[in-house]
Amino acid sequence: MTDPDHDIAEALASLRPRPPGTAVTARLARELDASANRRGVIIAWSAGLSALAAAFGAAFVFLGGAVEPEAPAYQLVRVEQSRPDVQFFRPVQMEDGSFARPVRVRWQDTTRWEDARSNTRLINYRPNDQLTLLPLETN
Amino acid sequence: MPDAHADQDWRAWFAEHGARLRLIARQWTRSEADADDVLQEAFVRFWKHQRHLPGNPNALVVTSIRRSALDLLRRGDRRAAREKVVGDDMDTVTWFEPEADPRLAALADSLKLLPAEQREVVVLKVWGDLTFDEIGDQLSISPNTAASRWRYAMEALRKHITARTHD
Repeated sequence: MTDPDHDIAEALASLRPRPPGTAVTARLARELDASANRRGVIIAWSAGLSALAAAFGAAFVFLGGAVEPEAPAYQLVRVEQSRPDVQFFRPVQMEDGSFARPVRVRWQDTTRWEDARSNTRLINYRPNDQLTLLPLETN
Repeated sequence: MPDAHADQDWRAWFAEHGARLRLIARQWTRSEADADDVLQEAFVRFWKHQRHLPGNPNALVVTSIRRSALDLLRRGDRRAAREKVVGDDMDTVTWFEPEADPRLAALADSLKLLPAEQREVVVLKVWGDLTFDEIGDQLSISPNTAASRWRYAMEALRKHITARTHD
């Protein structure tokens, strides 16, 4: 069976969308670099603090102090975003005479950390609820 | 959590897919500048929070673009005055590189004449590289509705092009 829409779809696919401007590419590169650098700084600080904590711990044990149970060391294991629930409402007229459809979007972000040593989990559920207006085109 | 795309060069990935992603952002925004802003915000959000997730990153980036576009529309109420001055350049700025073939040029123009709900299905299918199931997920409609909008859009585009060819 042949697809009657194939020729149109093929012609559409041959259209070449305009690429993002150089300003966008440059801004994006700066943003990615900045994020990577911030992450590097955090990792460096974490490594330094870990070494310091280890040194204090070793000194404490060496001096014969009582060892308290360690607090769980949670590691980020999963970040999930639920499928958004979208509600469309009746169109409304805006002050400028145009029409827009109110849309309510709800979803949930779930972040999970785990501590393998104590086999414990920490889960953060964050519900999101946004109301927005989608402009409607009228001819 | 292990990074499922640890070896991915995301700048190269963006360079390869940026044009079609920008088109997806463009059809959900009012201006070229908004499309650039949405694309940048969406990709950075994906890169920061979701790039390590397994599976094809394409659908995640498209979801992020839609979310950013909706955020921008919500914020749009606060800059209504500027929008009135700048206006909606939906009909005046080309979304595609110029085409020498008049049939292709007519097709590019005709895309803007489609109802928004049909146009977004076409854009997500052709340039978003999504299946009808995935489009249904994106737009919170059934795959059958997505496929139906696609068929109506193809029919409308065929009529537009035929009319333009006879003019």
